[in-house]
Amino acid sequence: MDLADTLTDLRNRTSVAAGEASTLEGLDTVETEALGARSPIAEARRRLGSLDAEERTAAGRAIQETAAAIQGVIAVRRAELERAVRTARIAAEAIDVTLDYRTLRTGGLHPVQQVIDEVAEIFVGLGYKVAEGPEAELSWYNFDALNTPPDHPGRLESDTMYLDYGRPEDGMLLRAHTSPIQARYMEQHQPPVYVVAPGKAYRNDTIDASHLPVFHQIEGLAVDESITFSDLKGTLAEFARQYFGPKTTVRMRPHYFPFTEPSAELDVSCFNCDGGSAACRVCKGTGWLEMLGCGIVDPNVFLAVGYDPNEVSGFAFGVGVERLAMVRHGIDSIRHFIDNDLRFLAQFPG
Amino acid sequence: MRVPLRWLSDYIDLPTTDPDELAHALAMLGHKVEGIEEVGADWTGVVVGRVERIDPHPDADRVRVTHVDLGDGDLHQIICGAWNFDTGAVVPVAVPGAVLAGGFEIARRRIRGVDSHGMICSERELGLGDDQTGIMVLAANTPLGVPLASVLDLPDVVFDLEITNNRPDAMSMVGVARELAAWFRVPYHRPEVTLVTVPGAPTVAITISAPDGCDRFVAREIRNVTVGPSPLWMRERLRRAGMRPISNAVDVTNYVMLELGQPLHAFDADRIAGDRLEVRWANDGETLTTLDGTVRPLTPADLVIVDGDGPTSLAAVMGGARSEVSHTTSRVLMEAASWHPATVMYTSRRHQLRSEASTRFERGVDPNLGPDANARACRLLAEIGGGMVLEDVVDVLANEAHRVTVTLPIGEVQRILGDRYTLDTAAETLRRLELDVVADGDALEATVPTFRPDLTRPADLIEELARLADFDTFPETLPTGPAGGLTADQRRLRRMHDLMRGLGWHQAINLPFVTTEELGLFTDGDVHEVVSVRNPLRDEQARLRQSLLPGLLRNVRDNRNRGASRVAMFETGRVFYARPWVEDTRVPDQPMRLAAVASGPFGDGGVEGSTAPADATVAFAVVAAIGEQMGVAMERRPARLPGLHQTRRRVRAERSHRCRRARSRFAAGPTGSHPDDPDLDLSSRRLRPVVRRPRCAPGGGAGGGHCVRVRSGRICDGVRRVPARGRGGAVGGDSLPSARR
Repeated sequence: MDLADTLTDLRNRTSVAAGEASTLEGLDTVETEALGARSPIAEARRRLGSLDAEERTAAGRAIQETAAAIQGVIAVRRAELERAVRTARIAAEAIDVTLDYRTLRTGGLHPVQQVIDEVAEIFVGLGYKVAEGPEAELSWYNFDALNTPPDHPGRLESDTMYLDYGRPEDGMLLRAHTSPIQARYMEQHQPPVYVVAPGKAYRNDTIDASHLPVFHQIEGLAVDESITFSDLKGTLAEFARQYFGPKTTVRMRPHYFPFTEPSAELDVSCFNCDGGSAACRVCKGTGWLEMLGCGIVDPNVFLAVGYDPNEVSGFAFGVGVERLAMVRHGIDSIRHFIDNDLRFLAQFPG
Repeated sequence: MRVPLRWLSDYIDLPTTDPDELAHALAMLGHKVEGIEEVGADWTGVVVGRVERIDPHPDADRVRVTHVDLGDGDLHQIICGAWNFDTGAVVPVAVPGAVLAGGFEIARRRIRGVDSHGMICSERELGLGDDQTGIMVLAANTPLGVPLASVLDLPDVVFDLEITNNRPDAMSMVGVARELAAWFRVPYHRPEVTLVTVPGAPTVAITISAPDGCDRFVAREIRNVTVGPSPLWMRERLRRAGMRPISNAVDVTNYVMLELGQPLHAFDADRIAGDRLEVRWANDGETLTTLDGTVRPLTPADLVIVDGDGPTSLAAVMGGARSEVSHTTSRVLMEAASWHPATVMYTSRRHQLRSEASTRFERGVDPNLGPDANARACRLLAEIGGGMVLEDVVDVLANEAHRVTVTLPIGEVQRILGDRYTLDTAAETLRRLELDVVADGDALEATVPTFRPDLTRPADLIEELARLADFDTFPETLPTGPAGGLTADQRRLRRMHDLMRGLGWHQAINLPFVTTEELGLFTDGDVHEVVSVRNPLRDEQARLRQSLLPGLLRNVRDNRNRGASRVAMFETGRVFYARPWVEDTRVPDQPMRLAAVASGPFGDGGVEGSTAPADATVAFAVVAAIGEQMGVAMERRPARLPGLHQTRRRVRAERSHRCRRARSRFAAGPTGSHPDDPDLDLSSRRLRPVVRRPRCAPGGGAGGGHCVRVRSGRICDGVRRVPARGRGGAVGGDSLPSARR
């Protein structure tokens, strides 16, 4: 048998054998037999040296072509077999989705924290920074800098918690609202000022369904060259829409606070009934929810922190965090917020 | 303040009587309506009758058979169980077909063989009051047969208004009418104050020796007064406004206070010793028995009215028992005075006596209202209690009240409110509020009436302009700040919260008060630098925390008591030390801290299924996770705290290897300035990433970065507050106790 026949024969045989190989191991054997050290191909290569130059070139090319063809056949078959193996393995390893599994417990943030974070995010989106301040505070920042009259009832010990610390004339106290943060912030920063300030507030109150001696507020303050009453209304309307939903409308009513003038209370249209139900349990049929106090910053507050009230104007607002959470979630008593009962806390994922 | 619509309508012709529309107008004026109460609209068919004859019931002892004239010429036989009236009494009668409150229908009935054509009613049955002493007796001159509703001015609507502290002028019917008049642009009118008098002067001499507490004292004398019940209309108005009728002399003072806003006091002139009254500061040691029968010790900060025998009235707050009018009084001295708000506030708070009068004086009553209010009260008392008003009035004026003039540049108005007001419209609006306004160039010169003590500056007038423009009409505009965002500290706190939440911990928020015992639990050595509340409502609220752990331990106890088997809670918040705060040395130190406590099963990485109890290794793991997330060094060393089990170094080889490696990577220098603090300090000063390789030995003094210490221990037996079986652990930031249960 001459070389050409040998190669043709080998090629045909290997092609058949590869097709018949049903495992990767079997295919390896076929490959070894066809191309290995003892294969006819190897034998033919060894013989090349004994041929003259002209024959050697032709024979070498024939051997190479055959070897390449055989490699191609085997590679195709190998790919087929590997695919089959993988398919079989995937089928064999299929997971039972009804399997019992171990639980990764996650915790949660307190609903008060969630409201604080959310409100801060809304105002950060409007270009506000977040400010903080001490809870043990000087009377100056809590009252005087905020234009509170010397005989204001809020200063009485029946309302405000005073501390045994520092000089008596400092009137060290636990801040009764977050508003001292705005006075401090203005003292340290020049306008324009756009800040919100979340934090604890302290009042000498007995705990009941609507009072806690310690609760949370978020204070807001914008001071710029030409802040108007409409700016206050528009800002709070935007906040209400982001917090309560896009259909929310707001209503402002005149009110009184020492540190703002004009002062207002802000009502938010009831997100539960849209003002449409006399039986609504959230707004008690009024269609409005009383939400927060606000106003145009009183000129005396600017003077106290060293701003010129003729150069700048501003607005401020303060909202009760627990109130925001109670309204949104329909919580009936403010006490829940300090009970730290996991059965309560777990109802507020996030 | 309760405002009955019928009463209010005496002073103003309202363009609407729809309660909701009026409530909206009042709310937009700044007087929020907290409630709208409908009075007397829940019965029908009650008319006025006169009892002409009373016969005993032939077959029943407890009732009588009355014969009542209902104005129709017939006598109607009605059986009645009340005995508080006699023949001639004019009474309300529910005739057959009448429906009383609660749907109770009146029909012709037979009671023990005698027909009864209706029912004679009590106040209670008509929903007019709680008086159960018998049936309601009307004035003898009440026309017979007319519906009781018209006699009583019913139905009526009562608005409950929240009047803000700055608006004492609105704390009266006339004041509310004045507000609504400005809103609706209609006139209002004041009550009649002209007097018919007889010649004569009060016998009592009056002096003000405390002009720093009393501006004015107006008094008149009324002779031959018959003290007795007020007429029904007055009692009914007082009741609807929330006050209890007492006697005509007292009721008149309350009526005029509600009508005009000026509190008054009626003295029995015969019981004023020495025929003199003096306003002065009290002396130490003096006492006064007030109308409520309480003996009150006085201080020199109390303003009193004294007569020849000493204090006889607590000025502006409550009258004294000694000179109180009674049923034997015939000579009344009617007082209308003007007191300084701060004094009244001090006295009413100190004596815990808050009255309608003190509430008004605290906020500021028009100093010029006294003469009119006094005349009005005298006129009414003469009308309903007989008597003659003496012509001479005593009007002692210690300080004259001046009207304030405010200059209001129109540009100032436009800067805050936009361009909606011109000089002319602003002037017109302020005039509606009874300010005298003249234009001066681009500004208004506005002179404020004395009943508006809240208007002294341009900003005050801008508020009035905004209010009367109707807040609803302002457009919404949205300014935005130059650059929003969180500071690095704020972002870190959020990441810390998110990490703890992700690791399976629930956030707690506790009141920052602790007991003395709790203070000592997590402090090395003596408790010191405690910040105390000077005026705590309860002793539990007298001391501020120095660690978050006591609160968290209480939370764990409470939750286990409620049946929770696995509790893992953390808190971030301020703790307080009586030493200067680095950020502002004027206030006490109040760093932000983090602490956490766990009890019950707490598997590795929060995987449930493991029954491994929360122990010190959980605490280590959490602190290590925090350290990793925050990029700060965490180092563990033995420590002793009373609240924690004693600790020692006991690390296995493999763990020790890891520690060494960690130390070589992170640990760099001394701990924070207060290594005794049990919680993890969250201030950036302490919790700062270490960015360069350490050069010092652990505990050494060379500064590279900072490290946060980790302590290990178990909560001591004495601190175990969780009365539950099982095991528990506590994590306190850099103190990591584990509790065995």
